[in-house]
Amino acid sequence: MMYKMIVLLMLFAFMNINAKAQIYYTKNGNISFFSKTVLENIDAENNQVISVLNVETGALQFSLLNNAFHFPKAKMEADFNEDYMESDKYPRSTFKGTITSLGDVNFNKDGSYPIKVNGDLTVHGVTKNISAPGTIVIKNGNVSATSSFKVLVSDYQIKIPSIVSNKIGESIEVKVACNYQKK
Amino acid sequence: MLIFIAIIVLGMIAMYSIWNEPHKNIKDADGVKVNAVQLYSDLTKDSAMMKSKFVNNVVIVSGEVKKVLKNQNGDQIILLKTNVSDGSVNCTMEEKANNVKPGNTISIKGICSGYIGGDLDMGLPGDVFLIRCYPSI
Repeated sequence: MMYKMIVLLMLFAFMNINAKAQIYYTKNGNISFFSKTVLENIDAENNQVISVLNVETGALQFSLLNNAFHFPKAKMEADFNEDYMESDKYPRSTFKGTITSLGDVNFNKDGSYPIKVNGDLTVHGVTKNISAPGTIVIKNGNVSATSSFKVLVSDYQIKIPSIVSNKIGESIEVKVACNYQKK
Repeated sequence: MLIFIAIIVLGMIAMYSIWNEPHKNIKDADGVKVNAVQLYSDLTKDSAMMKSKFVNNVVIVSGEVKKVLKNQNGDQIILLKTNVSDGSVNCTMEEKANNVKPGNTISIKGICSGYIGGDLDMGLPGDVFLIRCYPSI
Protein backbone atom coordinates (compact mmCIF):
# COMPACT_ATOMS: atom_id res chain seq x y z
CA MET A 1 0.00 0.00 0.00
CA MET A 2 2.73 2.41 1.08
CA TYR A 3 4.81 1.39 -1.91
CA LYS A 4 1.92 2.05 -4.30
CA MET A 5 1.36 5.48 -2.83
CA ILE A 6 5.00 6.42 -3.22
CA VAL A 7 4.95 5.29 -6.84
CA LEU A 8 1.78 7.30 -7.43
CA LEU A 9 3.25 10.37 -5.79
CA MET A 10 6.40 10.07 -7.86
CA LEU A 11 4.31 9.68 -10.98
CA PHE A 12 2.38 12.84 -10.13
CA ALA A 13 5.57 14.76 -9.42
CA PHE A 14 6.99 13.63 -12.75
CA MET A 15 3.81 14.60 -14.63
CA ASN A 16 3.95 18.00 -13.00
CA ILE A 17 7.51 18.61 -14.17
CA ASN A 18 6.50 17.45 -17.62
CA ALA A 19 3.48 19.74 -17.71
CA LYS A 20 5.62 22.72 -16.79
CA ALA A 21 8.22 21.94 -19.42
CA GLN A 22 5.66 22.17 -22.24
CA ILE A 23 5.32 25.93 -22.16
CA TYR A 24 7.74 28.35 -23.74
CA TYR A 25 7.23 32.10 -23.68
CA THR A 26 8.69 35.52 -24.35
CA LYS A 27 7.55 38.97 -23.34
CA ASN A 28 10.01 40.78 -25.57
CA GLY A 29 9.41 39.19 -28.94
CA ASN A 30 9.77 41.22 -32.11
CA ILE A 31 7.11 41.97 -34.71
CA SER A 32 7.86 44.44 -37.47
CA PHE A 33 6.09 45.50 -40.60
CA PHE A 34 7.18 46.99 -43.84
CA SER A 35 5.33 48.83 -46.54
CA LYS A 36 6.93 49.91 -49.78
CA THR A 37 5.49 53.05 -51.31
CA VAL A 38 6.29 55.53 -54.03
CA LEU A 39 7.37 58.27 -51.64
CA GLU A 40 8.94 56.48 -48.74
CA ASN A 41 9.29 53.02 -47.20
CA ILE A 42 7.50 52.62 -43.91
CA ASP A 43 9.09 50.33 -41.39
CA ALA A 44 7.95 49.92 -37.80
CA GLU A 45 9.04 47.66 -35.01
CA ASN A 46 7.53 46.36 -31.77
CA ASN A 47 9.88 44.65 -29.29
CA GLN A 48 7.31 44.10 -26.56
CA VAL A 49 5.44 41.13 -27.99
CA ILE A 50 4.14 38.51 -25.59
CA SER A 51 4.13 35.05 -27.12
CA VAL A 52 3.30 31.69 -25.59
CA LEU A 53 4.09 28.38 -27.26
CA ASN A 54 2.89 25.01 -26.01
CA VAL A 55 5.25 22.49 -27.59
CA GLU A 56 2.98 19.59 -26.63
CA THR A 57 -0.19 20.81 -28.35
CA GLY A 58 1.26 23.33 -30.82
CA ALA A 59 -0.89 26.14 -29.41
CA LEU A 60 0.73 29.44 -30.31
CA GLN A 61 -0.28 32.94 -29.25
CA PHE A 62 0.93 36.46 -29.75
CA SER A 63 -0.30 39.69 -28.29
CA LEU A 64 1.06 43.21 -28.52
CA LEU A 65 0.17 46.80 -27.74
CA ASN A 66 -0.25 48.80 -30.94
CA ASN A 67 1.11 51.97 -29.36
CA ALA A 68 4.45 50.24 -28.72
CA PHE A 69 5.25 50.17 -32.46
CA HIS A 70 8.18 52.47 -33.06
CA PHE A 71 8.53 54.29 -36.38
CA PRO A 72 11.48 56.17 -37.80
CA LYS A 73 9.35 59.32 -37.88
CA ALA A 74 7.20 60.75 -35.08
CA LYS A 75 4.49 61.81 -37.52
CA MET A 76 4.15 58.25 -38.89
CA GLU A 77 3.78 56.96 -35.34
CA ALA A 78 1.08 59.51 -34.50
CA ASP A 79 -0.85 58.84 -37.73
CA PHE A 80 -0.62 55.08 -37.19
CA ASN A 81 -2.05 55.26 -33.67
CA GLU A 82 -4.60 58.04 -34.12
CA ASP A 83 -5.90 57.60 -37.66
CA TYR A 84 -5.26 54.04 -38.84
CA MET A 85 -5.13 51.66 -35.88
CA GLU A 86 -7.21 53.83 -33.53
CA SER A 87 -5.06 52.51 -30.69
CA ASP A 88 -7.18 54.14 -27.96
CA LYS A 89 -10.19 52.16 -29.12
CA TYR A 90 -8.33 48.99 -30.13
CA PRO A 91 -5.17 48.92 -28.00
CA ARG A 92 -4.15 45.32 -28.79
CA SER A 93 -3.45 43.10 -31.74
CA THR A 94 -3.52 39.37 -31.10
CA PHE A 95 -3.01 36.05 -32.80
CA LYS A 96 -4.36 32.77 -31.44
CA GLY A 97 -3.60 29.65 -33.38
CA THR A 98 -1.74 26.39 -33.69
CA ILE A 99 1.25 24.95 -35.45
CA THR A 100 -0.47 22.56 -37.85
CA SER A 101 2.75 20.73 -38.73
CA LEU A 102 3.93 20.15 -35.16
CA GLY A 103 4.93 16.53 -35.91
CA ASP A 104 7.76 17.81 -38.14
CA VAL A 105 9.47 19.59 -35.24
CA ASN A 106 11.78 17.73 -32.88
CA PHE A 107 12.15 20.06 -29.90
CA ASN A 108 14.88 17.81 -28.48
CA LYS A 109 17.18 18.00 -31.50
CA ASP A 110 19.07 21.02 -32.83
CA GLY A 111 17.89 22.09 -36.23
CA SER A 112 15.82 24.44 -38.34
CA TYR A 113 12.27 23.21 -38.89
CA PRO A 114 9.84 24.75 -41.37
CA ILE A 115 6.34 25.03 -39.89
CA LYS A 116 2.82 26.00 -40.90
CA VAL A 117 0.68 28.09 -38.58
CA ASN A 118 -3.06 28.66 -38.74
CA GLY A 119 -5.24 30.79 -36.51
CA ASP A 120 -7.14 33.99 -35.83
CA LEU A 121 -5.47 37.33 -36.27
CA THR A 122 -7.24 40.24 -34.59
CA VAL A 123 -6.23 43.73 -35.68
CA HIS A 124 -8.25 46.94 -35.37
CA GLY A 125 -11.15 44.99 -33.85
CA VAL A 126 -11.46 42.69 -36.87
CA THR A 127 -10.69 38.96 -36.61
CA LYS A 128 -9.61 36.95 -39.67
CA ASN A 129 -8.41 33.40 -40.02
CA ILE A 130 -4.94 33.34 -41.55
CA SER A 131 -2.26 30.82 -42.43
CA ALA A 132 1.42 31.61 -42.47
CA PRO A 133 4.67 29.75 -42.98
CA GLY A 134 7.38 29.96 -40.35
CA THR A 135 10.54 28.42 -39.03
CA ILE A 136 11.38 27.03 -35.62
CA VAL A 137 15.05 26.87 -34.73
CA ILE A 138 16.33 24.69 -31.91
CA LYS A 139 19.86 25.49 -30.85
CA ASN A 140 21.46 24.17 -27.67
CA GLY A 141 17.98 23.57 -26.29
CA ASN A 142 16.88 27.17 -26.99
CA VAL A 143 13.72 27.65 -29.03
CA SER A 144 13.24 30.53 -31.44
CA ALA A 145 10.69 31.15 -34.15
CA THR A 146 10.39 33.38 -37.19
CA SER A 147 7.65 34.03 -39.70
CA SER A 148 6.86 36.38 -42.52
CA PHE A 149 3.46 36.95 -44.11
CA LYS A 150 1.40 39.57 -45.89
CA VAL A 151 -1.66 41.35 -44.57
CA LEU A 152 -4.11 43.43 -46.60
CA VAL A 153 -4.94 46.71 -44.87
CA SER A 154 -8.50 46.59 -46.24
CA ASP A 155 -9.15 43.17 -44.61
CA TYR A 156 -9.02 44.84 -41.20
CA GLN A 157 -11.16 47.86 -42.08
CA ILE A 158 -8.24 50.20 -41.67
CA LYS A 159 -9.16 53.34 -43.56
CA ILE A 160 -6.44 55.34 -45.15
CA PRO A 161 -7.48 58.75 -46.56
CA SER A 162 -6.80 58.90 -50.29
CA ILE A 163 -4.65 62.01 -49.85
CA VAL A 164 -2.01 59.91 -48.09
CA SER A 165 -2.80 56.53 -49.62
CA ASN A 166 0.22 56.86 -51.88
CA LYS A 167 2.32 56.93 -48.71
CA ILE A 168 1.02 53.58 -47.47
CA GLY A 169 0.91 50.35 -49.40
CA GLU A 170 -2.27 48.25 -49.56
CA SER A 171 -0.34 45.16 -48.59
CA ILE A 172 1.86 45.12 -45.49
CA GLU A 173 4.63 42.64 -44.94
CA VAL A 174 4.69 41.42 -41.32
CA LYS A 175 7.73 39.76 -39.77
CA VAL A 176 7.84 37.85 -36.50
CA ALA A 177 10.95 36.89 -34.53
CA CYS A 178 10.77 35.45 -31.01
CA ASN A 179 13.39 33.90 -28.75
CA TYR A 180 11.54 31.75 -26.25
CA GLN A 181 12.40 30.75 -22.72
CA LYS A 182 11.04 27.81 -20.80
CA LYS A 183 8.35 28.52 -18.26
CA MET B 1 3.38 85.47 -59.23
CA LEU B 2 6.30 85.74 -56.80
CA ILE B 3 3.89 85.69 -53.85
CA PHE B 4 2.23 82.60 -55.28
CA ILE B 5 5.55 80.78 -55.53
CA ALA B 6 6.51 81.92 -52.03
CA ILE B 7 3.26 80.48 -50.62
CA ILE B 8 3.85 77.15 -52.34
CA VAL B 9 7.45 77.01 -51.12
CA LEU B 10 6.41 77.90 -47.54
CA GLY B 11 3.67 75.27 -47.68
CA MET B 12 6.12 72.66 -48.83
CA ILE B 13 8.58 73.61 -46.09
CA ALA B 14 5.78 73.36 -43.49
CA MET B 15 4.68 69.95 -44.74
CA TYR B 16 8.25 68.75 -44.89
CA SER B 17 8.97 69.87 -41.33
CA ILE B 18 5.78 68.25 -39.96
CA TRP B 19 6.66 65.00 -41.73
CA ASN B 20 10.21 65.14 -40.40
CA GLU B 21 9.41 66.27 -36.88
CA PRO B 22 11.71 64.43 -34.46
CA HIS B 23 10.51 61.99 -31.80
CA LYS B 24 9.75 63.24 -28.32
CA ASN B 25 12.89 63.78 -26.27
CA ILE B 26 12.36 61.36 -23.37
CA LYS B 27 15.68 61.94 -21.68
CA ASP B 28 14.93 65.56 -20.76
CA ALA B 29 11.16 65.24 -20.37
CA ASP B 30 9.27 65.49 -17.09
CA GLY B 31 7.40 62.40 -16.02
CA VAL B 32 4.73 61.07 -13.67
CA LYS B 33 6.49 59.50 -10.68
CA VAL B 34 5.28 56.09 -9.50
CA ASN B 35 6.74 52.88 -8.07
CA ALA B 36 6.67 49.62 -10.02
CA VAL B 37 4.34 47.75 -7.65
CA GLN B 38 1.79 50.58 -7.73
CA LEU B 39 1.96 51.06 -11.51
CA TYR B 40 1.45 47.35 -12.14
CA SER B 41 -1.51 47.07 -9.80
CA ASP B 42 -3.08 50.29 -11.16
CA LEU B 43 -2.85 49.20 -14.78
CA THR B 44 -4.02 45.62 -14.25
CA LYS B 45 -7.28 47.01 -12.84
CA ASP B 46 -8.15 48.16 -16.36
CA SER B 47 -9.52 51.50 -15.15
CA ALA B 48 -9.93 54.33 -17.66
CA MET B 49 -8.70 56.86 -15.10
CA MET B 50 -5.44 55.00 -14.48
CA LYS B 51 -4.93 54.46 -18.19
CA SER B 52 -5.26 58.16 -18.94
CA LYS B 53 -2.85 58.94 -16.09
CA PHE B 54 -0.07 56.66 -17.35
CA VAL B 55 -0.59 55.25 -20.84
CA ASN B 56 1.25 57.10 -23.64
CA ASN B 57 2.79 59.41 -21.04
CA VAL B 58 6.35 59.72 -19.81
CA VAL B 59 6.59 58.00 -16.44
CA ILE B 60 9.44 57.67 -13.96
CA VAL B 61 9.18 54.25 -12.35
CA SER B 62 11.21 53.26 -9.32
CA GLY B 63 11.55 49.69 -8.20
CA GLU B 64 13.64 46.64 -7.48
CA VAL B 65 15.40 45.02 -10.43
CA LYS B 66 14.19 41.45 -10.95
CA LYS B 67 16.13 40.54 -14.08
CA VAL B 68 18.32 42.13 -16.75
CA LEU B 69 17.94 40.68 -20.25
CA LYS B 70 18.63 41.49 -23.88
CA ASN B 71 16.12 41.47 -26.73
CA GLN B 72 16.81 40.29 -30.31
CA ASN B 73 18.20 43.71 -31.24
CA GLY B 74 20.65 43.66 -28.35
CA ASP B 75 18.70 46.33 -26.42
CA GLN B 76 18.83 46.04 -22.65
CA ILE B 77 15.59 44.92 -20.99
CA ILE B 78 15.16 45.62 -17.27
CA LEU B 79 12.36 43.83 -15.42
CA LEU B 80 11.12 45.52 -12.24
CA LYS B 81 9.48 43.51 -9.47
CA THR B 82 5.76 43.77 -8.82
CA ASN B 83 3.50 42.02 -6.34
CA VAL B 84 2.77 39.31 -8.95
CA SER B 85 5.57 36.75 -9.18
CA ASP B 86 5.68 36.35 -12.99
CA GLY B 87 4.46 39.86 -13.78
CA SER B 88 6.92 42.71 -14.25
CA VAL B 89 7.27 46.30 -15.32
CA ASN B 90 9.15 45.52 -18.53
CA CYS B 91 11.48 48.35 -19.62
CA THR B 92 13.21 48.45 -23.03
CA MET B 93 16.21 50.75 -22.64
CA GLU B 94 17.08 53.29 -25.33
CA GLU B 95 20.11 54.15 -23.22
CA LYS B 96 21.74 51.28 -21.36
CA ALA B 97 21.90 51.43 -17.57
CA ASN B 98 25.37 50.40 -16.42
CA ASN B 99 26.09 47.96 -13.59
CA VAL B 100 22.47 47.02 -12.89
CA LYS B 101 21.97 43.78 -11.06
CA PRO B 102 18.94 41.94 -9.69
CA GLY B 103 18.15 43.30 -6.24
CA ASN B 104 19.28 46.86 -7.06
CA THR B 105 16.85 49.74 -6.68
CA ILE B 106 16.57 51.82 -9.82
CA SER B 107 14.56 54.65 -11.38
CA ILE B 108 13.68 54.36 -15.06
CA LYS B 109 12.10 56.97 -17.28
CA GLY B 110 10.19 55.97 -20.41
CA ILE B 111 6.87 56.02 -22.25
CA CYS B 112 4.30 53.70 -20.71
CA SER B 113 2.52 51.72 -23.43
CA GLY B 114 0.22 49.94 -20.97
CA TYR B 115 -0.51 46.48 -19.63
CA ILE B 116 -0.93 43.42 -21.76
CA GLY B 117 -2.02 40.08 -20.41
CA GLY B 118 -0.22 36.84 -20.91
CA ASP B 119 -2.17 33.65 -21.30
CA LEU B 120 -4.08 32.82 -18.17
CA ASP B 121 -4.85 29.26 -19.35
CA MET B 122 -1.12 28.71 -19.42
CA GLY B 123 -0.56 30.52 -16.15
CA LEU B 124 1.42 33.41 -17.54
CA PRO B 125 0.62 36.86 -16.13
CA GLY B 126 1.20 39.88 -18.36
CA ASP B 127 3.59 42.81 -18.03
CA VAL B 128 3.33 46.57 -17.96
CA PHE B 129 5.57 47.88 -20.72
CA LEU B 130 7.78 50.94 -20.81
CA ILE B 131 9.46 51.80 -24.10
CA ARG B 132 12.30 54.15 -25.08
CA CYS B 133 13.67 54.10 -21.54
CA TYR B 134 16.49 55.99 -19.85
CA PRO B 135 18.03 55.50 -16.44
CA SER B 136 16.65 58.33 -14.28
CA ILE B 137 18.67 59.97 -11.55
